[in-house]
Amino acid sequence: MKAYKKKIILSLPDVILPEKLVLFLRNPMGVLGFTLVLLIVISAVFAPLFATHNPFTMDIANRLAGPSFDNFLGTDQLGRDTYTRVLYGGRVALQVAAIGVSVSLIVGLTLGMIAGYGPLWLDNMLLLLFDAIRSFPTIVLALAAVALLGPSLSLVMTIVIITSIPGYARLARTSTLSIKNTEFILAEQSLGASMKRVLAIHIMPNVIGPLLILAAMDVPVVVTIEAGLSFLGLGVQPPTASWGTILNEGYLIIRTTPWIVIAGGIPLILTTLGFTFLGESLRDVFDPRLRKGK
Amino acid sequence: MTKLLDVKNLNVDFRTPLGRVHALRDINFSITKGKIVGIVGESGSGKSTIIWTITQLLAKNAIVKSGVANFNGMDLLKADNDTIRGIRGEKISMVFQDPMTSQSPVLTYAQQMNDIMYRKNELSSQEKREKAIAMMRRVGIPDPESRIDQYPHQFSGGMRQRAGIAMSMLVEPSLLIADEPTTALDVTMEAQIIHLIRELQKETDTTIMVVSHNLGLIAELCDEVIIMYAGEILETGKIEEIYSNPSHPYTQALLACDPARESKKTRTLSVIPGDIPDSHIKPKGCVFASRCELAVQHCRTEKPENYRISRSNHLAKCHLLDPKKPLPKPQSNFKKIPKTKISSERFSHKDKEKLLKVNNIRVQFPIMTKLKAKLKGINDPYVDAVFNASLSLERGETLGLVGESGSGKTTLGRAILGLVRTKSGSAEYNGRDLCQLNSREFKPLRRNMAMMFQDPVGSLSPRQTVRSLMVEPFKIHGIEKNYDEEAKRLCETVRLPENFLSRYPHELSGGQARRVGVARALALNPEFIIADEPTAGLDVSVQGEILNLMNDLQDEHGIAYLVISHNLPVVRHISDKLAIMYLGRLIETGDSANIFEKPAHPYTEALVNGIPQPDPKKRRKLLSIEGEIPSLTSRPLGCEFHPRCKYVQKKCKFDPPSIKTLSDGREVLCHFPLQT
Repeated sequence: MKAYKKKIILSLPDVILPEKLVLFLRNPMGVLGFTLVLLIVISAVFAPLFATHNPFTMDIANRLAGPSFDNFLGTDQLGRDTYTRVLYGGRVALQVAAIGVSVSLIVGLTLGMIAGYGPLWLDNMLLLLFDAIRSFPTIVLALAAVALLGPSLSLVMTIVIITSIPGYARLARTSTLSIKNTEFILAEQSLGASMKRVLAIHIMPNVIGPLLILAAMDVPVVVTIEAGLSFLGLGVQPPTASWGTILNEGYLIIRTTPWIVIAGGIPLILTTLGFTFLGESLRDVFDPRLRKGK
Repeated sequence: MTKLLDVKNLNVDFRTPLGRVHALRDINFSITKGKIVGIVGESGSGKSTIIWTITQLLAKNAIVKSGVANFNGMDLLKADNDTIRGIRGEKISMVFQDPMTSQSPVLTYAQQMNDIMYRKNELSSQEKREKAIAMMRRVGIPDPESRIDQYPHQFSGGMRQRAGIAMSMLVEPSLLIADEPTTALDVTMEAQIIHLIRELQKETDTTIMVVSHNLGLIAELCDEVIIMYAGEILETGKIEEIYSNPSHPYTQALLACDPARESKKTRTLSVIPGDIPDSHIKPKGCVFASRCELAVQHCRTEKPENYRISRSNHLAKCHLLDPKKPLPKPQSNFKKIPKTKISSERFSHKDKEKLLKVNNIRVQFPIMTKLKAKLKGINDPYVDAVFNASLSLERGETLGLVGESGSGKTTLGRAILGLVRTKSGSAEYNGRDLCQLNSREFKPLRRNMAMMFQDPVGSLSPRQTVRSLMVEPFKIHGIEKNYDEEAKRLCETVRLPENFLSRYPHELSGGQARRVGVARALALNPEFIIADEPTAGLDVSVQGEILNLMNDLQDEHGIAYLVISHNLPVVRHISDKLAIMYLGRLIETGDSANIFEKPAHPYTEALVNGIPQPDPKKRRKLLSIEGEIPSLTSRPLGCEFHPRCKYVQKKCKFDPPSIKTLSDGREVLCHFPLQT
């Protein structure tokens, strides 16, 4: 393993890139998506470095100002710097997306593989559970939960996780079913490998590819759910900056100062586009059935 | 002697992300009208690419760089779309390898055949139907009037291939291309299809181009042969000349590798060392130089020309045949590798002890769910895949388990290893019945037994490196060892270069992947190995290597093998004992040499006679066996083989036979065994 990698690095001048990477790099949409995603992630992670102001410092005298060298995207009704707030809002959005998507991915993957590989009765029970959860519309479920338990970021995340688990689980289950009876799994069984080992070492790497693609395409969905709930005042609470709250604040004064809505909307659009392009081109590269020309 | 197809100077490249692949280089050949021409080559030799090129069905990333394919005075490579479509439907038709996937599953044969004749406007649909029925009858489909309205899934594999041939002959093509027409079929079916193709050719005088890797098939079927290797044609000529006087070293080696040419148990087979060259690089010299034992410096630097061997059209592309330069004449140097040990002394009979005793194992598979069966009032919703099979295996011995597909041989192997649940019977190993153990009790015993699976690449976990695959048995059984050393040791044992340890299964060729499979099986020094079709999916030149390796390992470690195969020539080479299976029952068991020499069961006789001989002089006149293996759900009454048996008598139709023991210790399930 090590020797193989080293060889590639050492012979960099005439390096042979892996076929998949070449295919990915040849796809302009994929590269664009990847760049956007990278940009958004960096801006969120290093928000304090890029920020020009403190996101909570009010400057009433300078409220609702237009873009200037001091405030790149102007200020809001309390005189807070919109650019800074957008950067910090990205942190919330990506935090929800990262935790929400990864937790539901892991739980969904595990449950799905168990359903696919395990006995039939367990499969049927898990399927019933997944379908029951899927039958709730996400936003309506979130609204109901917030109405009952009060708005909070962790509640938003919990709702996101619970409702997206079945999607991953179903995909993992189908892929597991299709490789459950292949010869290499039978070969592992003939060696005496335990179920845990078969699932973790032999099935998981073969199942996870499509799931990661689905996860990449799910990120914008989660981000919009968070923004949507925050916009409605049910998610992130002021004064914490979130793209949803920024939109909400700007929405009230859209006729006089459109800057705030634009500033809150653009990152949402870019995130959606970035992750969707990335996910789609990853799917094209890794799912040969959809590849053209062959 | 007019030329129907004349291909000149054909060069085809494929664009891939890793650069261009030079798939065909300087291909020149011609096909004479009314002949059957065979194109032979191992996988990757470009034989299929030739077909796709002349029919303009190449993948989109292919580039035809140069060449002419003159067909009836017209260049097929320059024909526009409409013309080539007309030719494909009318003049050139094809029989595909896998009848399962090459026929539309949603249309009846009547509809499919009607569609094939859509250009024949002069015929009414009734006439078309009659013509189709006549053709179906001609290819041997019983009751074609009603069967023509059935769908492909209602036909068995052999019948489907017959229908495929009927469809391709329907348009009365002047050129019929058959791409591995029997590869997906069983030995008995293969013989029938060969027979059918020859008969049809005689009747209609069609020209046929057969593409195959199977030298026996080519010898049985063809008049002329084209030998291909790595995208080039190495030798062409009449079949008798090529088989009796192979001139190119590759042809000699290829013929020497075919186990069917040896009629005795030799235990070692000839091989061609090395791999097919990478076709990204255009070779400077002869393509075969890297694997040729006779290659001289000259071969690696200069391209050889075609040299005429005899007055006829026997050509070979090899420097050694250059009449101007008196190099040593190529002679078959591909003799068997001398063995270090003599077979009879190997793991001698002194510690002959029973290792495994299988008693009346029965395996059933459900054909419907219990609830459905109850609703339908069926008490026994099962089929017997294995029906009371008994075997015994001794230390250091090889038992060949032979049968057509669907005979239950793989299921029996899996049942012994506890991968399939048995209904009744026992498999005694060291005094313990394997069938009664649960998976926890079985696990420690698994160290002593291993299984090799059919698909060399498919039986390796695709996302694992060769190293982790090889050391996995140690990890599973919790054996702490220096894994790196163990991996190296195993590599050495199976003769796999160490730098392969970091590769993934898809980066391996069939032979290399099979070696990894052998290494995994050997890791824990097992006492016996069940090898399911150990040579399936391997080229002729490679299968010898694997069999020799298995044999050497048996000599060293005294491993017992249970080899499951439908390939009789291979089994003949390696087995001490044979067990023939038919419809889940063992119909003949006993000493391998005896069985091959004097088969006692009529089915065994048919199988032995059904081996296609790679010798055009030994063509069979008569078919050894008719019909097909019946479905497990409708077993015939009496002796289950009686509907296909040549020697059938009245008693066979009603009384199930019991096992008879012959004078040489063989056990036969037949009322009237051919030997006593």
